[in-house]
Amino acid sequence: MVAWIGSRTVPLSAAIEQAAKLLATSRCPVFSLDSDIHGCRSLIALAERVGATYDHVHGRDLVHEVALHTDIGGFFATATEVRRRADLVAIVGDVPPVHHDLLSSLAATGPDLAGKGRRRWYQIEGRAASAGGRRPLRGPKAVRVGSPDLPVDAVLGILRASLSGKKVSATFANADAFLGALAKARFPVFVVSHLTDVPALAMLQGLLADINRTQRATALFLPSDDDAWGMVLASTWMTGFPPRTGFSTGAPVYDPWLCDVDRMIAQKEADLHVWVSERDEAPPARRGGPPTIALVRGERPVAGAAATIRIGKAGLDHDGVVYSSRIGTLRSVPAEAPSDLPSVRAVVDQFQHALTGQDMPC
Amino acid sequence: MTPLTFTLQSEPEERLDLSGLTPDRLAGMTSAEIGKLRVGTSRHPAAAGDVFKITGKDAENIVFAGGSGRFDFLGAEMTAGRIRVAGDVGARAGRRMAGGLLKIEGKAGLQAGSGMKNGRIDIDGDAGEGVGGPMAGEIHGMSGGLIVVRGKAGDRPGERMRRGIIALLKGCGDHAGLGMVAGTIVATGRVGRYPGHLMKRGSLLFDRRPAELSPTFIDCGRVEIGFPVLFDRYLMEEGILDRPLLGARPFRFGGDNAVLGKGEIMFARG
Repeated sequence: MVAWIGSRTVPLSAAIEQAAKLLATSRCPVFSLDSDIHGCRSLIALAERVGATYDHVHGRDLVHEVALHTDIGGFFATATEVRRRADLVAIVGDVPPVHHDLLSSLAATGPDLAGKGRRRWYQIEGRAASAGGRRPLRGPKAVRVGSPDLPVDAVLGILRASLSGKKVSATFANADAFLGALAKARFPVFVVSHLTDVPALAMLQGLLADINRTQRATALFLPSDDDAWGMVLASTWMTGFPPRTGFSTGAPVYDPWLCDVDRMIAQKEADLHVWVSERDEAPPARRGGPPTIALVRGERPVAGAAATIRIGKAGLDHDGVVYSSRIGTLRSVPAEAPSDLPSVRAVVDQFQHALTGQDMPC
Repeated sequence: MTPLTFTLQSEPEERLDLSGLTPDRLAGMTSAEIGKLRVGTSRHPAAAGDVFKITGKDAENIVFAGGSGRFDFLGAEMTAGRIRVAGDVGARAGRRMAGGLLKIEGKAGLQAGSGMKNGRIDIDGDAGEGVGGPMAGEIHGMSGGLIVVRGKAGDRPGERMRRGIIALLKGCGDHAGLGMVAGTIVATGRVGRYPGHLMKRGSLLFDRRPAELSPTFIDCGRVEIGFPVLFDRYLMEEGILDRPLLGARPFRFGGDNAVLGKGEIMFARG
């Protein structure tokens, strides 16, 4: 069983035809994506074909990480370079548990190209951003720098002002020790992940720019969701822009507010929602929302969806390509348990064929 | 001549890009030509004549009778003339405006006056985030002109502004003047956390001490300089305030010392 129209089981071709009909007649279709690189590429190409706006399923979290690159920019290195060169690592804010193994592996090795093989660890922290408090860091033992009374952007600001010898009106534990170690380090690296506060990101990159006037320093950016970051890369190389891009005027337009798919649905601008998730996530239930085409892994039709198509997962049901922050680039993932479930790419190819009678160009 | 008037027929089904309906762009066009201009942003975009009833002839003086939160880019890049909106507007009203007057009698959405260069925007209601700020990927925000918000403004007004004046008469959200390069922001009412964060130069002028100041701002005590009195006079002459904001001896904080540190925050009451 792989396809449904409403709650009625149908052959895959019938669900494809129904979905294509909805896509062809929609005035303002929106896509929420979560797939591997091949799936994202085919969906973005389809979005271009039907004039849709697209975002990642977790676009609300991703938008801050994208803003680091679109609005601020900065110094970045890969984990491989950090492993070989960093003699001082400063973790800024929280790092999600998914990256703790990477930090542990960095802690277990020393830099062979700098710093006499020794690596010193610091954790720059401020007031916990969430009500749940801070998640403990597994792996390296780091000297804590900061204050629970100040947000992390203020802690970074104080470090930055102190570095250039300017006055500040507050201080905190281990600030002088950290600045002393920073002055002696040959290649300090600031690890940042899941820092959703744009002023804090801007302050960190400003601090790096200041340090780079006299010595080398960089940042290791670890996306909070590698698969989502893969989609950012695919979107950028295909359209020139990261997600929250739309094709309603024909050409790609990037706008993190106008192309916010959740907002477009909530404000009743969208009249068709295509939801694609390889992670067992169903679209959020919305009363009075637009018709939904759901490509999901579940064995049941999505409640309220006009059409549901069951898909496989890259790296499980079929081979795929995903982003890996550990190597800082894309990697292939072979199928662990090959199945007959179609890939997102295969389903989107059929949409395309139903819409135009032609196969996808990519 | 009667003003060129766009009367909204009903709430638009799609977001509208109204950047084409400015005095300089409509000069010399007939009503029929104006009615054919594309304003919709969906796959089947509406024309101006589908959304508005168009009357009057004076393109130097445009009136929108009825507003909507879906009116985006209203007055964008206008260089002269006057636009009055009897209602709300959507995102980026007065975007890159270079002259003239844009009067909004309701609320404004995100980034009103984004990248504005000159002219004046008056907003009677509240304004969304990023008044006068840059769009994604841009280095600087507003570089000249005057924006007056008589309601409350959202977070980050005056982000990375280089010149010009923003007056917020019922306070604003967090990070007023974030990354400001120069220019002036005036606020009466409650101001959110960390105004002036990352500001290099420029002035933030408040009627009261901000609730939460960044620790990279330094208390300079009360100052006796000519600027506050001169600026108070300007604000009253322009009809923005009806009484002095700072007085002769305001409190002054200097910063942001995390960056250049040549900005200032002044307020009348401690």
